[in-house]
Amino acid sequence: MFRRKRRPDDDFAEEVQAHLILETDRLIADGWDPTDARDAARRRFGNVLAAQERFHESTRWVWLEQAVQDVRYACRGLVANPAFAATAIVTLAVGLGLVTVVFAVFNAYVLRPFAVRDPYALHQLLWRSQDDAGVGFRWRDYQELRGRTDLFDDAIAETSRLVTSKGHPLGAGFVSGNYFDVLGVRIQAGRPLARFDALAPGGAAVAVLTDEGWGRIFNRNPAALNSTIEINGQRLTIVGITRAEFSGMNDSPEDLFIPITMYGAITAQDLFGADQPRNIVITGRLKRGVTAVQMERALDSFVVRVVNRKDAVRAEARTVATPNPLTFDLIAALSPVFAAFGLVLAAACANVSNVMLARANARHREIGMRLSLGASRSRIVRQLLTEGLLIAVISGVAALALASLTLRAGLAMFFYGLPSSIVWLVRVVPLDIDRRVFLFALTAASLTTIVFALLPALQASRVSLTHALRGNPGTHLRSSTLRHLLVSAQVAVSLVLLVSAATLIFNGISIGTTNLGFETAGVFSVKQRLSTGPWITKAAETLGRNPRIESVAVTDVNPLSEHLPRMPVITGTGDAERLTPTSYRFVSPEYFSILRIPIVRGRGFTAAEAASEAHVAIVSMSGAKALWPGEDPLGKAVSVRVEPANQERGERTFIPANAPRKDVFDVVIVGIAADVVSGMMVDGVDPSHLYLPTSPTGARAEQMLFRGRSRDDARMDRLQGLLRAVNADPLAFEVLPLSELRLGQMFPVWGASWVGSALGLIALILSVSGLYGVLSYTLSQRTREIGIRMALGATGAAVVRLIVSQSARMAGLGALVGLTFAFGLLKLLNMHLRFRNVSWLDASAFATGLGLVLFATVLASYLPARRATRVDPVETLRVDV
Amino acid sequence: MPTRKSERDRLGLLQGTLDLLILRTLVFGPQHGQGIARYIEQQSDDNVLIDHGSLYPALQRLETRGLIDAEWGTSENNRKARFYELTRAGRKELVAETHQWRRLSAVIGRILGPERA
Repeated sequence: MFRRKRRPDDDFAEEVQAHLILETDRLIADGWDPTDARDAARRRFGNVLAAQERFHESTRWVWLEQAVQDVRYACRGLVANPAFAATAIVTLAVGLGLVTVVFAVFNAYVLRPFAVRDPYALHQLLWRSQDDAGVGFRWRDYQELRGRTDLFDDAIAETSRLVTSKGHPLGAGFVSGNYFDVLGVRIQAGRPLARFDALAPGGAAVAVLTDEGWGRIFNRNPAALNSTIEINGQRLTIVGITRAEFSGMNDSPEDLFIPITMYGAITAQDLFGADQPRNIVITGRLKRGVTAVQMERALDSFVVRVVNRKDAVRAEARTVATPNPLTFDLIAALSPVFAAFGLVLAAACANVSNVMLARANARHREIGMRLSLGASRSRIVRQLLTEGLLIAVISGVAALALASLTLRAGLAMFFYGLPSSIVWLVRVVPLDIDRRVFLFALTAASLTTIVFALLPALQASRVSLTHALRGNPGTHLRSSTLRHLLVSAQVAVSLVLLVSAATLIFNGISIGTTNLGFETAGVFSVKQRLSTGPWITKAAETLGRNPRIESVAVTDVNPLSEHLPRMPVITGTGDAERLTPTSYRFVSPEYFSILRIPIVRGRGFTAAEAASEAHVAIVSMSGAKALWPGEDPLGKAVSVRVEPANQERGERTFIPANAPRKDVFDVVIVGIAADVVSGMMVDGVDPSHLYLPTSPTGARAEQMLFRGRSRDDARMDRLQGLLRAVNADPLAFEVLPLSELRLGQMFPVWGASWVGSALGLIALILSVSGLYGVLSYTLSQRTREIGIRMALGATGAAVVRLIVSQSARMAGLGALVGLTFAFGLLKLLNMHLRFRNVSWLDASAFATGLGLVLFATVLASYLPARRATRVDPVETLRVDV
Repeated sequence: MPTRKSERDRLGLLQGTLDLLILRTLVFGPQHGQGIARYIEQQSDDNVLIDHGSLYPALQRLETRGLIDAEWGTSENNRKARFYELTRAGRKELVAETHQWRRLSAVIGRILGPERA
C-alpha cells in the first residue's frame, strides 16, 4: 500500500464540493428553486468539516503526526520550565543510573555470554559426590574424552594459574592446541595458538596476549607482537593478541594464553608423566542434538573410573556460556542488593511523580481548555505520558553516562581499598555498557515512565470543565492525598535504607575494633598456592636458619584465613553429659610466642610432643569454662574427632579411596591459653577452642607463620628472595602480612557499609527534596488560608507549628511503615545470616536512622513554612484567585 | 418535496451494509459519489436515506482497501466529479459479501417467522 501516495486533504475537500454541485444540479432538475437547492444539498451532506476531519484521521499516519505534535509540545514545555525539567531529569537519572550500575555488573558476570562461537553448546565436565565436587581431571582423561566423538564435536583442555613476568604476577591460561579453533576466538593482531603449537611436552615457546594483558604488560605498544616475554624464566614469543571481547572462560580475565605443553617448563610440574596431577578442566562442544543430560549419563561410568573415590560419584555437565550460570540461588543471594538499589529508583520515581502531579495540578486550566476545545481524555493522557517518556528517555541517556562514570569511580575505589599485597592479583571482567545494558536502561526508563507519569496523567485529565476554566481544580483534595502518600512512601524507603546502612556501619566498627587477642604486627602468613609437593619442612628450616627471622611456626590452618573446622566434644558422664561444639587447630609450640598469646595456666607444647603429634591439647579459656565449668581442666582427658590428615586443602579435588572420614582419639589437657579471634572476625572470639600439637615434620603441618626481627626485615621483596630457595617459582607461595589478612576480612564489611550509606543518603536527599517540593507547592496554594489565619491574629510561630505538624504526620506515617519494613528485613537476615560478632537488630541503628529522617523532614518543612509566614496578610487577601 | 418520504419512514442502514451497497452499485460501471447515493436511494424507493457525510469516508475506506479505484472525470452534465470503479478484488469481495448477506437475512427471516398483520 505504500506505493500509493497518500491522497491529500485538498483533493477530498474538492470532491465534497463537486458532490454539493452535482446534488444542487439534481435538485434543480427536480424542480427546486436554485437557492433552496443549494441549502438543501448542504443540509443533506451534514457537517462538511467533520467529514473532512474523519477523512484526515482515517489515514495511517495520524498517530505519528499527533505523536510528533506531542513531542514538540513536551519539548517546549520542558524548555519553558527548566527548573522542573532539571529536577525531574537529574532525580530520575540518579535512580536509573544506580540500577544500571548493578545491572552492568550483573550483566558482565552472569548474563553476557563469552565472545566465542555458539557458547551455549559448551559444557564443562564435573564430578559430584554426596558432599563434594570438582572439575580437575588428568591429561589422560582429557585424551580419552576427546575420543568420544559420539558426544562432542571436540573438547578443549585448560588449566589456569598465576605466573610471573619480571616480578609481576600474571594470569595465564595453559590451553590445548585446539582451544582457539574450537572456541572460535577472534584475534586483533597476529595469529591464534594452533594445534602445531602444542604437539609435544616442552613444545612451542609461544604465547597469545589478551587485550587486557597487552595493556597491562606492554601498555598497548604495537611492538609487543613478535617480541618475547619472560615468564617464570622462560622466554616466549608473542604471536598474537586477542580482541578485547575475549579474555578467557573464567570470571577472572587472563593476561595471556600459553600452549599447555609448556606447562612443565614454566611451572616445574609434569602434566604428562606417569603420575598426572588432577588440575585440567575439560570443556566439550556438544554435538548437535546431544543434550547435557545425555552427556551426563554417557559419562557417569567414565567419571566413576577416573575419579576413583570410595563414595558414589556421578558426572555433571555445566554450561559455561557465561562466567556464572543464572540460577535461582544466585538471584536469591543477590536479591538484597537488587532490592536496595531498586528502592532508590522507586524513591526517585515517587519524587518525579510528585513533581509531575504538582505541575499537572498547576496546569489544570490549560488541560481544561484543551478538553473544552474537544480533545479526548485519552489524547490528554497521551500528551502527558509523552512528556513523561521524553523526561525518561533523556534521563535514561544521562543514566548511562552516570553509570559509566560510577563504574569507573567504583572500580578505582575498589582497587584503592584492597590490601596492597593482593591488589596485583585481582582481575575484574570489563564492565562495559553493552547492547544489553543499553536496552536495560531504556526499558527501565520506559517502565518508570508508567510508574511516575501515568498516575499524574490520569489524575490531571479528570478535570471538571467548569472548575478548571474558573481556575479552581475540583480534584485538589484527592491529588493532595496522593502526594502525601508518595512523600510517606519516600520517607519509608529512606528509613529502611538508612537503618540498614547504620546497622552495617555499627557492625563494621565493632568488627573493626575487635580485640583479636594476639599481635598481628610483623607476622606473616605463608601458604602454598598450588600443590607442587611437600615443601613445609624445607621452608621452615630455611626460614628458621635466617638471622633476620625471629621465629617460625607451622599450623594446619593459619589464623584469620577461614572458618575454623569444628567438632562436637562430649564431657561429663551420665546425666551430666554435655555436647559442646569446639573448634580446633594444629599448631607448633612457637605459635603462642609468635602471636604473643599468653599461656594462662599449665604449659605450652614441648618439642617432643610437637614432633610426635602427641595426644595432648591446650584449651582456650572460654573453652575451659564451657567444657569443665567450675573444674580444673588440667589433666582432664577428652575425645576428639578431627579431619583426616594429608588431605589437599583448598583444592579438594582428590581424596584417596581408602581415607578414613574422621580421625578419633583421646587427648589430655596440658595448658590453658588466653582467648583469641582466630577464624573469621564476624564470628568473634573462638568460643571453645582446642590447640593440638604439630611440627614442621608432622603430618598436620600445612601452613606457616613467621615473625621478622625488625620491621625492616619483614619486607616483601626480601621474603620473596628467601622463599626462592625453597621453590624457584615466586608465585608458588602466598605470603601475606597478618595485618593485611585482617584488612582483607574488613574489606567486604566496609564495602557494604559504604554502598549502603551512599544509597541511604541518596534516598534521604530524594525524600527531603520531595517533601520540600510538596510543601512549597501546597503552601503556595494555601497563601490565602494562611493570610486569613494571620489576619485573625495567629502568630508566625503558630502557623509554622501547624505546617510542621502536618508534615510530621506525613513523615510519621512513612517512618512507621519504614521501621516495620526495616525490622522485618533485618529479622529475616538475623534468621539466615548468623555471625556471633554481628548483631542485625541493633536499637542504636534504628534510632540513628529514625533521628536522621525526622531531623531532615523537620528541616525540610520548617523552611517553606517560615517563608509562608512572611507574606503580608493584607496582600494575600487581595490576591484574586 | 412531493416524491419524498418523510424522514421517519426511512430505514436506518445496518453497520457495514453501506460498503456492500456501494460495491453493488459500481457493478454497472464507474460512478461518482453523488450518483452512487442517488442510485441507492432510487433503487430502495427512497426507503434508504444515504448520509452523504459518511458516504465519502466510506468510499475512501474502500479505496484504501484496494476494492475500488478512483479517477477524476466529467459527469454527464459536464461537471467535474471523482469516478469510482470496481477492482478485481472489489468484485471478489462483492460476491463473497453478497452471499454472506443472503445467508444472514435468510436466517434472520426464519427466526423472526412469517410477518403478521
